[in-house]
Amino acid sequence: MTPSFLNAILLISQFELKRLFTTRKGLLYLITFSIVWYFILLYPIRFSADLFAQNKSSTLGSNFFEFIGFGALLNWQIPEFGVYWHIALVMFPLLCITITSDQSCSDRERGTLRFLSLRASRDSLFLGRFAGAMAIQTLLILVTALTTLILTIYRDTNLLLVALNSASAIALNLVLVLLPFTAMMAALSASVKSARQATVWAILIWSFLAGIISGLSYYLPALTVLKILIPGYQMADLSQLAEWQTLELAYIPILQSLVFLGIGRWIMSRQSL
Amino acid sequence: MNNSPVIRCHNLCHSYAGKAVLRQVNFELATGEPIGLVGPNGAGKTTLLSILCGFIYPTAGSVSLFGHKPGASALNGKVSALPQDAKLDPSFTIGDQLSFYARLQGLNRQQALREATRVLGAVALKDSIKERPDTLSHGMAKRVAIAQALIGKPELILLDEPTAGLDPVNTRNIREIIAELSPTTTFMISSHDLSELGRLCQQVLLLENCTMSSMQLNASEQDSPTRFITLQMEPCPTVELMSKLKNLAGVLLVSNPQKNEFIIEYNPTIEAKMDIKILTCLMDNNWHYRQFSQGKTLEEKLFFEE
Repeated sequence: MTPSFLNAILLISQFELKRLFTTRKGLLYLITFSIVWYFILLYPIRFSADLFAQNKSSTLGSNFFEFIGFGALLNWQIPEFGVYWHIALVMFPLLCITITSDQSCSDRERGTLRFLSLRASRDSLFLGRFAGAMAIQTLLILVTALTTLILTIYRDTNLLLVALNSASAIALNLVLVLLPFTAMMAALSASVKSARQATVWAILIWSFLAGIISGLSYYLPALTVLKILIPGYQMADLSQLAEWQTLELAYIPILQSLVFLGIGRWIMSRQSL
Repeated sequence: MNNSPVIRCHNLCHSYAGKAVLRQVNFELATGEPIGLVGPNGAGKTTLLSILCGFIYPTAGSVSLFGHKPGASALNGKVSALPQDAKLDPSFTIGDQLSFYARLQGLNRQQALREATRVLGAVALKDSIKERPDTLSHGMAKRVAIAQALIGKPELILLDEPTAGLDPVNTRNIREIIAELSPTTTFMISSHDLSELGRLCQQVLLLENCTMSSMQLNASEQDSPTRFITLQMEPCPTVELMSKLKNLAGVLLVSNPQKNEFIIEYNPTIEAKMDIKILTCLMDNNWHYRQFSQGKTLEEKLFFEE
């Protein structure tokens, strides 16, 4: 009996996870990511957290952080997580645009999608690849949250429960933040010929979308509402929130993802393989 | 199983950038013997197969396989294909990918691995199960692509140039696989190798000038008032041979389409044993033949028939 729609999505996403752990390209990516993350953890996060911890109690220190625009970091109970949150909000979307850019384009150019489409619907292929890309990123997010947690309890074991709470809030939020970026890359990957093209288009579309909507809304303030279409639109507001308050803006990435997935599915269903 | 034909095309049209490739193509195929699909380069054979597989959509008209639209979930595992120039993902081993395909067709992990081993064994590539596709030669990659088409128990297999680039031993192996599976699986084979199609198929579809015609290979000669013999000779005096053959009673026409190849058209009511007459003529003149066959070659029938 052939697998159901959901089972096909599950099988395809599992195969994408396998890509990360069993292929040369995937392993090389994992090693590079681990090294980069090790240095981020060891220097920016640990040193900035120390700095925050030292100045948090003094008014002068707080005013200084407010002045340079990082006052929101002080809202976090554990400084390591405040810094981690801010770094992750920039790092993961950028990583997302590169690592999820090849969800279907190279397979389509090579003809591999032809083999797959004889056995799975285009919808399950599109959504399975998207789910796979999200699973990989979730895994990376969990690793970074866990290592930050270890760094925190290494400093003070009494912070375990608070750190666990912060780590969970951040991990969940980061997954939500990455949803629309990944969906946008899925849609682009379904329409262009290479991962590089998808990345370039993502940057162009994002910049033009942000530029045009900002420009238009300057003259017609009612159009400000269109900013909701820009992936990551909520991130500036998000960085001002802390802990579970960050979920207040969760509806934005969810809505954006649904729109991008709808567009991507439409492209995929009409695309020649 | 319902009584829907395996393939039904109705007024199928397809064009690329305004240039028509298929125009009002209509045909129906029932289950049975392998069917050949021939036509000159650019005639639309690959386009037709791509439409049947659901890789591209027709510009107009309708197409159904077992009563379903190409690409429908109901055809998963039922229809399989060897697409032209499609390659496996170079990141994974061949075994990983074929097992994954088998899993998408509903097999569990162990069954999928067994199936991948079985189909690779069928194309004599069992030892390549742990290799990556980019380490294979063109011919080996083609055999792996054929192997993926054999996964499970498909009822219809569409093969686009299955033996192009294969060595003679593997070409014969693929022919044997097709002959072995033919009782349960319907094959549609697109090929330029007409001798191969002549061996495998009873029916051939000819795509030419954007339209399609069908030919039953056995029936056509039986119904004809005249019959043909094709003669391939060792080097011989062409003019003299043609003259001698023309003088045989019952011979209507002798043509020389290629060097040392002769097609003799004759009336069987005048001379039923024309083969014996021709062989006697050759022996009397001490001319040696290379091949002697009843009827015209498929190439002559399809492309040079007046």
